[in-house]
Amino acid sequence: MNSTAMDLRAFGAAGMKEWRLLRRYPSMFLGFLFWPIVLPLAYVLQARAYSGESQAALDAFARNTGTTQIAGFLFLGWATYMWISMILWGPGTSLRTEQIRGSLEALFLTPVSRLVILFGPLVSQVAWAIWMFGIVGGVLVVFFGVSIGPGEALRALGVILVAVPALYGLGALFAAVVLRFGEVQAMVQGVRGVFTVFCGMSFPIAILPEWAHRVALTLPPTYLIGDLRSVLLGSSSLVGTIPDLAILLGLGTVISALAVVAFKRTERHARRGGSLAQY
Amino acid sequence: MNDEARAELRAAWAIARKELRIALRYPLNAVNEVLQPLYQFLLPSLLLGATFLVGGRAIGLQASAGTDDLAGFLFLGMIVGGLVSTAFWEIAFSFKREMDAGTLEPAWLTPTSPETLVIGRAISGLLISGIASAVLLGLGIVVFGASVSPGIVLALPALLLAAFSMIGIGYLVASAVLLIREPTFLVDATNFLFAMASGVAFPVLVLPIFVRWVAYLLPTTYALDLLRAHAIGARPLLPLWMEWLALVGFALVMLWIGRLVFGRTERRMRVQGTLGQH
Repeated sequence: MNSTAMDLRAFGAAGMKEWRLLRRYPSMFLGFLFWPIVLPLAYVLQARAYSGESQAALDAFARNTGTTQIAGFLFLGWATYMWISMILWGPGTSLRTEQIRGSLEALFLTPVSRLVILFGPLVSQVAWAIWMFGIVGGVLVVFFGVSIGPGEALRALGVILVAVPALYGLGALFAAVVLRFGEVQAMVQGVRGVFTVFCGMSFPIAILPEWAHRVALTLPPTYLIGDLRSVLLGSSSLVGTIPDLAILLGLGTVISALAVVAFKRTERHARRGGSLAQY
Repeated sequence: MNDEARAELRAAWAIARKELRIALRYPLNAVNEVLQPLYQFLLPSLLLGATFLVGGRAIGLQASAGTDDLAGFLFLGMIVGGLVSTAFWEIAFSFKREMDAGTLEPAWLTPTSPETLVIGRAISGLLISGIASAVLLGLGIVVFGASVSPGIVLALPALLLAAFSMIGIGYLVASAVLLIREPTFLVDATNFLFAMASGVAFPVLVLPIFVRWVAYLLPTTYALDLLRAHAIGARPLLPLWMEWLALVGFALVMLWIGRLVFGRTERRMRVQGTLGQH
């Protein structure tokens, strides 16, 4: 077996290990069912209060967002938020978790490629992302009358898959930074906060001030949210769906490369300082 | 006050000081007490509100809540959100942290009553939440243009009464935390639902009718209603005297029920010897 095949096998094994760990904590399954419904629902109720059933307010929303589907707009935004949260809390901090468990040194002593260590834990999470978007889609169709046919669902799946390198690249970059600096909670909250404020989870980025709008356009979740809304709700895309996806892929490539560089530096720093097992 | 009660009070204050000292040791977490509600809830909510503005005015909110002060509505909601979070995370969930650290059994073996452990955490939690809420409200006024009237001081006793009720809720949730081995999801989910049903993010009148009845059974619904009515002139759910009466009733009943359930849970755990298990 050549080294690439061995690495691929190790990649699969890393994904399987993470999946097995997830299955051991059934309360997490409840969370994966509860939050994708309840969190966006709170914002839908908030939107109902903001509209006050006033046609002028509803028109203002439609003008700003390009859609009249308030529930769809909010559910898709917050589903992306939850996917990012899962990436940051799980795979994003996986190396740190290994460090705390005391298994990181053993992992580094195996002959597998460092890319497997960095990206392996991310594999199992793709299944969760699809599950979560599936729940959101189901709720939108059943309870809010949003029409999502097989064609729209496939296009949405395509957008999600195109976003995978960018989002998991972010997760890997985050993992490398967390491993270097050792702080998890505040960093997760901080990064998630930046995405919440700039990427348009609950609002169209067009209403942001010019400088914040520019920041939003450098962040991958902005494109993911915009394109999901565009293919499922027919709202206006940011630049155009295909160019958006190209930008998303480009960002994914750059971020993944940055993650690899950051990880190598972190590893070198840890080896020199003998701090791999310290936390 | 007899010697025993004085000793318990001293112990409660010592526990509160310990918790405050731990909080101050992690300044980033302390800053997060203010930043987290801001970027996780207030800013997304404000920006969603901005999407519905007509000529710069929140005419929809005016129709549903009786005020068009979007920032005032949300920042005042966050004060009560902080109160709810204190009961669930600072009072109740801190027992889980002690369990994980292995310090719960030693604390229980001291001559201090276990109820005092709850009171101590309540004091520190309410102090931290109060300071964070004051800073947030200041930000709301200065940066986001909330126009809070000085009449807000008339509603401060409502917050105090709600705090007593929430200590009762804290006892109840702490009982659940002690009984369930993995309570994180329970605490997280019930904290969120409690805050939403209290009207932290929207007026409770937009809730479906069956959930609205749950909202009417929460002390925080009335505390927040009084706060918004006095501070920004929002339309109250009930005549104000009825809301005050409800708050006094809830404070007495919740404290009584909470202490009763906590006492029984604690006794059961002592009998079964499960206090150190997690």
